[in-house]
Amino acid sequence: MILLEINWTNALNITLLGFGIVFVVLCLLILLLYIFGKVMTPKVRVPKAVRTPKGAKVEISDDTEFHKVQLPANASAAIAMALHLYYSDVHDQDSHVITIKKVERRYSPWSAKIYGINNLVR
Amino acid sequence: MKNVIMMKHLKYFLLIIASIVSVSIPLSAQEKVLPIDSTEVIAVSSDAVAVNVTDAPMEANINIGDSLMEFLDGTGFAMIARNWKILVMLLISFLLLYLAIVKKFEPLLLLPIAFGMMLTNLPGAGLFTPDLFANGVVHWEQFSHAGLLDYLYLGVKLGVYPCLIFIGVGAMTDFGPLIANPKSLLLGAAAQIGIFATYIGAIALDFLPREAASIGIIGGADGPTAIFLTSKLAPELLGPIAVAAYSYMALVPVIQPPIMRALTTKKERAITMKQLRSVSKSEKIVFPIMVAVIVSLLLPAAAPLIGCLMLGNLMRESGVVERLSKTVQNELMNITTIFLGITVGATATADAFLNMKTLMILGMGIIAFGFGSAGGVLLAKFMNLFSKDKINPLIGSAGVSAVPMAARVSQVVGQEENPGNFLLMHAMGPNVAGVIGSAVAAGILLSMLG
Repeated sequence: MILLEINWTNALNITLLGFGIVFVVLCLLILLLYIFGKVMTPKVRVPKAVRTPKGAKVEISDDTEFHKVQLPANASAAIAMALHLYYSDVHDQDSHVITIKKVERRYSPWSAKIYGINNLVR
Repeated sequence: MKNVIMMKHLKYFLLIIASIVSVSIPLSAQEKVLPIDSTEVIAVSSDAVAVNVTDAPMEANINIGDSLMEFLDGTGFAMIARNWKILVMLLISFLLLYLAIVKKFEPLLLLPIAFGMMLTNLPGAGLFTPDLFANGVVHWEQFSHAGLLDYLYLGVKLGVYPCLIFIGVGAMTDFGPLIANPKSLLLGAAAQIGIFATYIGAIALDFLPREAASIGIIGGADGPTAIFLTSKLAPELLGPIAVAAYSYMALVPVIQPPIMRALTTKKERAITMKQLRSVSKSEKIVFPIMVAVIVSLLLPAAAPLIGCLMLGNLMRESGVVERLSKTVQNELMNITTIFLGITVGATATADAFLNMKTLMILGMGIIAFGFGSAGGVLLAKFMNLFSKDKINPLIGSAGVSAVPMAARVSQVVGQEENPGNFLLMHAMGPNVAGVIGSAVAAGILLSMLG
């Protein structure tokens, strides 16, 4: 009896509309993310020609050595790490100069020696 | 040694008895004189006339037996004896404390919730007054009688705590896997079917639409979102819904694997996915701004949750406000969690919690979780029919939020079939998409029913 009294039209409308809107909003985000990915993904540009030390221009085609080189994963990781250290200005060598700086201690009743002395404590 | 301790205890006991007897005998034997006001004292001293004490109104004799009975009647024990429900609530709070401390089920939230539940059910303590928030309205005029938890509860009632927690969640979330594989958003959307299927189920069980929406949001597996929506739509159900949401989130490793195994074949579970592309820093910075603007413009009701989530994420990714990022991830998050947990637990009073509705909510909560997990897995299977790069359907179940527990479950179940398969990062995509999806779903329900 309870089931018959319920306004199923409203309930189904809210369910279908609600679930549909969730999909539409997230599909819109997918679309934007694809566009966003195409625009913002960093691209590595392969030059069409390179100059030899003698100054002669050499065309690069798909079958030249430049394209055939396949780097192993560990070499790629090492190069990536080196680039990261270089661009982030992070050094794996320090200056070898060790300086001990005197840290100034500000006065505070919390750290004052006079308040720390308690004659009652033996 | 034992005898000495016993003698000491006996000595203290006799002293207490003796002091009670010495105080009570004169009280019962003599008449008590009312305090004399200052004018009377002046008159007495100037005229040097003795005041006739017997003219003062007499006070009734104090009977030890009656006083003792009155005292005992006023204790919490007597109140528990009069209302058994309080005892049941205290036992439930002890059980939740046990689960939090011993079994470590989401202890960060379950512990304060359980303690809040215990405090609110201590009879006579008056720490929480549900009447101040009756009918979904804050009765400011009665706040002079408010207890500690009433003041703290304002943060829940006004929707402050869930949003503050979302800032912290945003600052702790890496949206990189989602940006690298935007299709994950579809899995996050599919997992929201749990919310809407449970909404229909709750309507069938004769819940009002606003209550049904609050119950359905448990399927989003997102505690702050569930609390945010319930505090707006059905504040009287906040206690059971919060307890159900957080308990089931803790039980994700138990609830999800059987569903995942039942809906997939061994071959599907062993699928190895393609490596995700790298995501640049600028993409990660623009993403939260873009999502906050677009979702808030489409669904203004979801703006508080999505806005706070993306604010936290921008703090993390921009790298220019390291201090703020650390603060929202740690201090702010922890403080808000304490307040949120203790006040949500406080709403679980005996009258509000011990009824058929709570049992039904607990039952439907688990169904919502199941539907959500199944929805994600089934959509991933469906996508595999058209997609060139196959998706492991196990990552679909991570579309229910429960970050990062659900993604970890996908990883564990995937490795059962193929130990060399690492699904964690792939599962993080649908997992964080689920957070956005459940916030969007909450915004939709709020705008339709609020």
